[in-house]
Amino acid sequence: MFKAIVSAETLTSALDSVSVLVDECKIHLEEDGLEIRAVDPANVGMVDLSLDAAAFESYEADGGLIGVDLSRLEDIAGMADSGQLIQLELDEETRKLHIQIDGLEYTLALIDPDSIRQEPDIPDLDLPAEVVLEGNDVNRSVTAADMVSDHIALGVDETEEYFYVDAEGDTDDVHLELTQDDLIDLQIGPAHSLFSLDYLKDMNKAIPKDTEVTLDLGEEFPVKIYFGFGEGQGQVTYMLAPRIQSD
Amino acid sequence: MGNAALRDIAAIEEIPFEDVEGVVAVDAHNWLYRYLTTTVKWTDSSKYTTADGTEVANLVGIVQGLPKFFEHDITPVMVFDGGPSDLKDDEIESRREQRRSYEEQLETAREEGDAVAIAQLESRTQRLTPTIQETSRDLLRLLDVPIVEAPAEGEAQAAHMVKRGDADYVGSEDYDALLFGAPLTLRQLTSKGDPELMDLEATLAQHDLTLEQLIDAAILIGTDFNEGVSGIGPKTAISAITEHGDLWSALEARGDHVEHGDRVRQLFRDPDVTDDYEFESTIDPDLEGAKTYVTDEWGVDAGEVERGFERIEESVTQTGLDRWT
Repeated sequence: MFKAIVSAETLTSALDSVSVLVDECKIHLEEDGLEIRAVDPANVGMVDLSLDAAAFESYEADGGLIGVDLSRLEDIAGMADSGQLIQLELDEETRKLHIQIDGLEYTLALIDPDSIRQEPDIPDLDLPAEVVLEGNDVNRSVTAADMVSDHIALGVDETEEYFYVDAEGDTDDVHLELTQDDLIDLQIGPAHSLFSLDYLKDMNKAIPKDTEVTLDLGEEFPVKIYFGFGEGQGQVTYMLAPRIQSD
Repeated sequence: MGNAALRDIAAIEEIPFEDVEGVVAVDAHNWLYRYLTTTVKWTDSSKYTTADGTEVANLVGIVQGLPKFFEHDITPVMVFDGGPSDLKDDEIESRREQRRSYEEQLETAREEGDAVAIAQLESRTQRLTPTIQETSRDLLRLLDVPIVEAPAEGEAQAAHMVKRGDADYVGSEDYDALLFGAPLTLRQLTSKGDPELMDLEATLAQHDLTLEQLIDAAILIGTDFNEGVSGIGPKTAISAITEHGDLWSALEARGDHVEHGDRVRQLFRDPDVTDDYEFESTIDPDLEGAKTYVTDEWGVDAGEVERGFERIEESVTQTGLDRWT
């Protein structure tokens, strides 16, 4: 059983943060909220999302599992104007999701969850450095780096105590330093890892610009990027595997 | 190239590349041959022909074929048909000699009309030229791709390595891999899209046969090493073996005959394989060295291999999250 009413913004944010990595996903309809975990086919980027029942106008579920085609569902959610409510109801018999937006009714055929790639195990990471910054600063870093290179280095200078972003292109370079004062918080630790901008750009699209974002970093370790959405009732955690640094 | 009729018997299903993990013992001749054919078919020969007229389309094929393994975090181990066990430079001469000796044996076999020996030796001598043999190994070594030299059939050796647990799959287009007892074989590694998984145990269970009986059924249908009985297809072969128990009784009941049936059977049951091999499954390619080798030393058009090298570089520098789980 699953029946819920949610604002278009909250649903769209949730779907967007997953669809940057995968086309299809499993959604766990738990009693206390929705949960999604997915990894891209190359096993490089992972998303772990939870959306608390409190984020919904109303929410009833008893632990079911559905598989969805994300772009389909996003298209439907896109039919709602901002501020409109979307009603979702699962028909257990037909395995279809009934979606209502105002007078619009849409019946979405679900995908067999078993046909969707297995949900990933969450890496057990003990990352020494933590950087808390505004989504806008993540956006600036990624956008600037993308102008010169395909990859981006993220690290912490332990002696000078700042977080830095480096991108080296064939001709041009980008460097950005953010000190304790520029950041919301910084926990100093040994950190320097290189990441693919292809992935980071996609993840960046889903990060709200005015939200507090936390980056956990290590040396040649995956980065853990997490932030809240849906007025703090939703939580997205991304993990991105590093590239091996040649020099 | 194996008998395609075996496909009707084999338990085969397509599996997503993401579900394939570990080491694939690739029948190198079979793999290279596929890429050679495609390269030669679609690429202007001037792009892979040296000034003195030597064709090295194999180098283009290798650079185009390897990314598929790397991008899916699969370690290929290239298993070459019969040759010296270790390939140091000073052994190249001995390989040439071996080849000459194969050619002589082949001539003798032809004179004697020994069909089994002809088939065996032809596969080892004719499919790949000495230059292709040598340059393929050189390039694979630069790219840090493990090489295993089989004492005889590469496919048999690859099956042996999977049986021993040193590799997870045989990689071959050839259905004969089943007959060599390969527990799991990946097909279509040279094509677009997902591979096919051929499962020996499921095949045997499906027909309620032992491996020995499957071999006998295949001999009735025809293998790389024998012609098969005319008029016997997969269905008839299986019912004949099921009914009569083995090859000889089935032949006797039908009043048919298979030339050298015992030798062919022995070839599959107890092929010439070795435990004398070792390889590392972490791959650390020398990309610059490999590029220089292909484009400078062998004069291959850089444009033909650029994309392949980029894909190799990308796949070996990007780690996967599974490393941390």
